Amino acid sequence: MNQHAAPARVPAAPSSRVWRFPRGLVVPAALVVAAELSFILSGYQSDSLAPPSAVVVALVQGLANGEILLATGQTLVAAFGGLALGGLIGLIMGVARGMFWRVDQLLDVSTEALRPIPSSALIPVTILIFGFGFRLEIACVAFSCTWTVFILTRAAVAGIEPRLMEVARVLRLGMFARMLKIVLPAALPRIFVAFRLAAGLALIVAVTTEVAANPIGLGAQMMSASQSLRPALTIAYLVWIGFVGWSLNALLILLQHNVFGAAGATGASHER
Amino acid sequence: MSALASPRLEKQPVQNSAASSRLKAAAPGGETLISLSHVDVRLGGRPVLTDINLDIRRGEFLCIVGGSGCGKTTLLRTVAGLVQPSGGTVAVGGEPVLEPRQDVAVVFQDYGKALLPWRTAAGNVALALEAKGTPRALRHDIIQDLLAKVGLNGQGDKYPSELSGGMQQRLQIARCLAQSPAVLLMDEPFGALDAMTRQALQDEILELVAQDDATVFFVTHDLEEAVYLGDRVIGLAPNPGRVGIMLDVGLKRPRDQLTTREDTHFLRLRRQLFDFIKETEA
Amino acid sequence: MSDNPIVWRIASVLFAALMVALWQLEANLELVSQIYLPGPDRTFHALVNGFHSGVLLQRTGLTVERMIYGWLIASLVGVLLGSMIGISSLARAYLHPFLEYLRPMPASAIIPVAIPILGLTDTMVLAVTSFAALWPTLLATIHGFGSVEPRLNEVSRILRLGRLEFIYKIALPNALPDIVAGMRLSLTYALILSVIGEMLSGRDGLGSWILFSARFYKAPDLFAGVVLLGFIGYVSALLVSGAERRLLRWRLKENRK
Repeated sequence: MNQHAAPARVPAAPSSRVWRFPRGLVVPAALVVAAELSFILSGYQSDSLAPPSAVVVALVQGLANGEILLATGQTLVAAFGGLALGGLIGLIMGVARGMFWRVDQLLDVSTEALRPIPSSALIPVTILIFGFGFRLEIACVAFSCTWTVFILTRAAVAGIEPRLMEVARVLRLGMFARMLKIVLPAALPRIFVAFRLAAGLALIVAVTTEVAANPIGLGAQMMSASQSLRPALTIAYLVWIGFVGWSLNALLILLQHNVFGAAGATGASHER
Repeated sequence: MSALASPRLEKQPVQNSAASSRLKAAAPGGETLISLSHVDVRLGGRPVLTDINLDIRRGEFLCIVGGSGCGKTTLLRTVAGLVQPSGGTVAVGGEPVLEPRQDVAVVFQDYGKALLPWRTAAGNVALALEAKGTPRALRHDIIQDLLAKVGLNGQGDKYPSELSGGMQQRLQIARCLAQSPAVLLMDEPFGALDAMTRQALQDEILELVAQDDATVFFVTHDLEEAVYLGDRVIGLAPNPGRVGIMLDVGLKRPRDQLTTREDTHFLRLRRQLFDFIKETEA
Repeated sequence: MSDNPIVWRIASVLFAALMVALWQLEANLELVSQIYLPGPDRTFHALVNGFHSGVLLQRTGLTVERMIYGWLIASLVGVLLGSMIGISSLARAYLHPFLEYLRPMPASAIIPVAIPILGLTDTMVLAVTSFAALWPTLLATIHGFGSVEPRLNEVSRILRLGRLEFIYKIALPNALPDIVAGMRLSLTYALILSVIGEMLSGRDGLGSWILFSARFYKAPDLFAGVVLLGFIGYVSALLVSGAERRLLRWRLKENRK
C-alpha cells in the first residue's frame, strides 16, 4: 500500500479519457468474429448455418423488400391484440380479487386448475375452434397474458397502503368511486409493470404459436426460411426477433421511468 | 476476550483457540494496543480523515463522537482493515493493519444485514468458530456459553428473522465474541434500536467488557451514550475529519443509568461535547 | 358469513364443481357445438379410454420424460455457469448486457435454426427444451450469486473465510431462493417446449397427441390431453414448491413474521 501518496490532485475530467470499447459488447463481438472466421476457414459449406456476413446481407435484403417488416407487423398485431384482451381480463380479475378477499378465495380452485395448463397446449384447441390466422394467436397470447396481469395486479391491489383504504371508508366512497379514485391510481405503477412483463410474454407466445403452427408473422417466416434451407435468412430473423423483443422492453422501461419515475421501479426486473 | 486476560472471572468458559492469544498474553492495562499515526483516508478522491493520531490502551473503552460527515465510521473501518489509509499507519499490537483480521471484531449497526438469515442463531455464532478452526467437539459448548452471555439463552434454534432487533444485535455481539477478539469495534451498534433496548444493551456491553477486560472502539452519535460508556471520548470535527477534542471521562465504574447520568461531572462532560459538536457543525 | 379460511376453501372447491356442472349443462344443450367444445363427460371418457388402452399413459410418460431431462440439463448448466459468472464481478460486467439483451428473446425462435442441424429428432426436442429452460435458471443464479449483501462480504473478510468457504457458506445459501425460483420457471418452460417440440417433430408424446386430435376433429381426445398437460403442470409445480419449502425453511419464518 502506498504510504506516501501525493497530495490531492484534481481527477482528470471524463471527457479527456480515451473512449474505451464498451465491456458489454466484447463478448458478442468476439463471438461474431469467431463465427465469421470459422466459416472462412471451413469454406462456407453448410445448409444449416450461415456466417454473420451472410446473415447481415439477408437481414438488410429482407428489410429492404419489406418481407421482414410485414411479418413483424403481423406478429405485433397479434401480440398486442392478445395483450389487450388478456390484460383486460387479468386486470378486472386482479382488481376484483385483490379488493375482495372472499371473491378471491371462491375463485381460487378454479383458477389454479386452469393456470398450470402450458400455453402450447392451447394451440391445438385454438386451431380446432378458430382455424389458422390471427384469432388463433390472439387467443393463445390472451390466455398466457391473463395470468401474468392477474397475479401481479392482484398483488398490487392487495398491497395498497391500508391507510388509503381507510381514507376511502371515512370519506364514504362507493365501491366504484373507491376503485377509480384510490385503488387504480395507487396500484398503477405496479400494474404498468405487470403489463410490461406481459408484453414480453405476448411476443414470446406469439412467435411460439407461429413457429409451431400459425402461418403468419415472424415465426412462420423463420420456419419457411428454415425449410427452404436458407440458413442466413433464418438466422437473420432470429437476430431481428431478438432486436424487436429487446427494443419493445427498452421502450416500455423508458415509458415507465418517464411516467412513474422512481415510484414505478417496483417489480423484480429479473423476473421473466 | 477469553478468560486468559481477566483475573476477575470466577467461571472459566471453555478455552478458545490460541490464535489470538499473542495479543492478550501481556498484562492488562497501560500499554498501547491500537495506534494510529498521521492517518489520512481518502474515499472517492475526497479527503475524509486527515492526520489522525491516536493511541488506544489495552482494556480501554474509547468512544468516538462527531457530527454527520466527520468520518467516524470511516475511522472505525480503517482500524478494521476494511479501508486502507492513503497516508500514515494503523497498527494493532504493533503490526500494521493491511487487511481485516480475525481478532479485530466488528459489530455493525445494520445487524440484520450482518447476520446469515439462513442459519439459526447458534449457526451464526458457529460461523466465527468455523472460521477460527475451533474443533467441532468444542463448538456446541462455546456457542451455548456465548448465547447465555448475551442473554439469548435457549434461542439458539431460532432464525434471525424470528428475533427482535435487540436480540439480533445481541446475536451479532455473540458472534463477534466468538472470534475471541483482542479488539471490539462497534459502529453505532444501538442506533437502530428503541430507547429502552438501547439502555439495556449499554449496560450489558459494560458488563461483558468488564468480565473480559476488553478493548473497545465505540462509534456513536449519541453524546450521552459516549460519556456513559467510555473511559475516554474523542470528538471528530468534520470536513475533513480530524481529532477535535479528547476527554477523559473519569467517572467511577460500574456505571448506573440513573445515578451516573445525574452526576454533575457527567453533565459537564456532556455539555463540553455538545458545545464542541455545535461549534464544528456551524 | 364466516371468514374461516377452511370454509372458503371448501366453497372454492364447490364453486369449481359448479363450473364443471355448468359446463356439462352447456354441453347437453349444445350451446357450442360438441365438435369444438365437448362436455366433461365425453372428455372424461376419452381420458379413461386412453388410459385403459395404455396409449395416454405412454404418451404422458414420454412428455414427462422429455420435460424432466430438459429441465435437469438446463438446471445443471444454469447453476454451474450461473454461479461462475455471478461470483465474479468482472464476468458479470462483461456478460450482463449481453444476457439482458437475450432475456426477452423467445426461446422457441431457436427451433427453426435447430431443425436443419438436428433434424426432426428427439435430440432436437431435447436440445430446444434444454435451451429454453436454461435461461430462467441461469439468469436467476447469476443474480443470486451477484447479490450478496455487502455487509456479509465484509464479515467474510473479517473472519478470513477462504474463497470456497465463502461460496459454500455465504454465496450459495444467499443465491438459493433465486435459484429455486428460476428452476421453477425453467420447469414451466421445459413443459411448454417439450409439447411444442413434439408437435413439430411428430415424435410420440402428449404434444403430438393433442395436435393430431385437433387435426382429426377428435375434440374429446384433445381436451383429455389438455387436461393431462394441465395436471402435469400442476403436479410438477407442487413438487418444486414442496422442495422449496424444505430447502428454504428460514424464508418461511421470515415471511410469517
